[in-house]
Amino acid sequence: MSVTHEGTFEVVNRLGLHARAASRLVQLASSFPCDIVVRREQQEANAKSVMGVLLVCGAKGTKLTVVATGERARDAVNSIGELIANRFGEEE
Amino acid sequence: MGEAGHDHRGGVSEPESVQLVGLAGSPGFAIGTAIIVDQGRAGVVRRRIQKHMADDEVARFDRAVSEAAQSLREVAERAGPRAVETSILQAYLLMVEDETLREDVERRIRIDLMCAEWALRSAVTEMSEQLRRGDDPYLTERSHDFEFVGDRLLGALAGRSRPLGAIPEGHEPGILVARDLSPAETATLNRERVLGIVTEVGTRTSHTAILARALEIPAVVGVKHLRQRVAHGDRLIVDGVHGRVTLLPGDAELSDAKKRSQRYYAMASGLRAARDQPARTKCGVPVTLKGNIELALEARIALDHGARGIGLYRTEFLYVDRRELPSEEEQYSKYREVVETVSPLPVTLRTFDIGGDKFASVFQVPPEMNPALGLRAVRLGLERPHVFKVQLRAMVRASAHGSVRIMVPMVASLEELRAVRRLLIEAIAEVDAAGHARAEYLPLGAMVEVPAAAILAEEFAREAEFLSIGTNDLVQYTMAVDRSSRDLTHLASYFDPAIIRLIKNVIQAGSFRQRPVIVCGAMASDPLAAILLVGMGLRELSMEATAIPEVKEALSRVTLEEAKDAAATAFEASTAEEVQLAMAARFAPMIADLLDPDELMASSRT
Repeated sequence: MSVTHEGTFEVVNRLGLHARAASRLVQLASSFPCDIVVRREQQEANAKSVMGVLLVCGAKGTKLTVVATGERARDAVNSIGELIANRFGEEE
Repeated sequence: MGEAGHDHRGGVSEPESVQLVGLAGSPGFAIGTAIIVDQGRAGVVRRRIQKHMADDEVARFDRAVSEAAQSLREVAERAGPRAVETSILQAYLLMVEDETLREDVERRIRIDLMCAEWALRSAVTEMSEQLRRGDDPYLTERSHDFEFVGDRLLGALAGRSRPLGAIPEGHEPGILVARDLSPAETATLNRERVLGIVTEVGTRTSHTAILARALEIPAVVGVKHLRQRVAHGDRLIVDGVHGRVTLLPGDAELSDAKKRSQRYYAMASGLRAARDQPARTKCGVPVTLKGNIELALEARIALDHGARGIGLYRTEFLYVDRRELPSEEEQYSKYREVVETVSPLPVTLRTFDIGGDKFASVFQVPPEMNPALGLRAVRLGLERPHVFKVQLRAMVRASAHGSVRIMVPMVASLEELRAVRRLLIEAIAEVDAAGHARAEYLPLGAMVEVPAAAILAEEFAREAEFLSIGTNDLVQYTMAVDRSSRDLTHLASYFDPAIIRLIKNVIQAGSFRQRPVIVCGAMASDPLAAILLVGMGLRELSMEATAIPEVKEALSRVTLEEAKDAAATAFEASTAEEVQLAMAARFAPMIADLLDPDELMASSRT
């Protein structure tokens, strides 16, 4: 039985989920063994794909739901949530 | 730029050389054979496969991915972690190995029974279309990157790992000749194989030119009718210093080019070594040399050439080729990037200098008979105060990250400067009210490029915190010569006594009111003119990054006394030619190695 975890986070950095932010999210997601998707309204994308993340890419204030299934799912959701809350490491 | 020289190839036995004129994209000399880069995207095989072949097709695709990724990693490694192009390459790597892409391709192979090439091409096309749909400029750019990645994967699938920088593996090094190179192609250029670049389109600030400068590959851009004239394998001399290409050079031209090339590189390495040396005259009087830039990327290049700050950051690019006005956030992040790169050195941000004539700008200005004299620059800003204030707020906010000055172009009357000052005060109050940080002190300066402002320099110096002389427009408006006219270039000289006297007036006004005066424009980057300006009393010049080392070297060979003396003589002259000859007679022998061949020619007439 696979474990699923999810969390919803608001994109708080000024430029939304752009450029380096998308790459960072993909790199972080790729470091986990579980399947991870990001969801915004009706759109859903593989969080380990820069194409996918760019396509659901949100402006500032967008709420993204992160859903992870499998090994270390909880860790993955928490780490990604932290990345988003920390403005993707972009100092502002 | 036009073409010079012959319009046809010469006799069969002894082909005559042809001079092609373009724009200096990246300095340096290259001698080699032309490699024509075929821009056309190769037709993609569309083959329907049998179901049992699907595993093989998917495996072929996976192999192509790892090959393409491998070659990108190699280039990134060669470029080094801090190189300009490395971040672009890393983005490509993420895309090449993208899971969504792989899933999409696999689905097309297994379910639609497409061969790998077809599956890949259709997946990439669809994704790029999706990215472009939002009309977001950032995502549109990513869609081009994505297509580039698709092309590389297609090449790998075809078994010809399409060589980076378009020169086939094992091919002799050569000179790339193309209509244009995409940012992606330029970023993956291989410095060992690509001796030089010549393109038909592009300007000094296009990606090709900027990245060529970063990679130190000589380049000439904007050469008209290039591909009709140059054939694969033709011998070429690329002179990226003066923006010239010699096609089918004779023996004498070749040996001359070799000599000039050796001299240039010997000098360039010497100048580079002097990068961190402050600019000063032979007698030790310091002169501040700054860079003119248009794109954020150029800030780093300017510093690498020894710029002590940015004297002119043009912001027009934010308003062209798009349908919506740039937001405060977008502008702020662009300005901030430059300000942080250059900090603690100062950056002078110029408010938009744009009018109805500037190609596809977002401003809908009614057509004018004479756009250079029409609703443009500060006039347009004051006519659209809400748009203008967005830019001012972004600039005010950028001041929190370093040393920022704001400069207003094309000011003709003091009323305009006062109106901008009022808007700036409002913008500052709004920034404060929104809780954003900013610098305590924000100097506001006027560009002196309309003769009226030069004549009234003293009044302007009273109210502006600094004055910046834009020589290109000052010449255009004083001599009544359209900047783009090719027939009137003889009239459009910054050595004209009328210009010299206006500049003198501005310098005196600045020193009387104790306001800094700077010259930004082509005049500052000409070593002879720079000596003249310093002789006239200027201590700050801003120019294209690539000109900084030469101007610094030229100033170091001249004492202030000599420069002053020559300026006094020049001030007595009554024609542009007399001024130029007076300067050349005095200094050309001392700085012959730094001068444009045309100037040397002019000086030899004395």
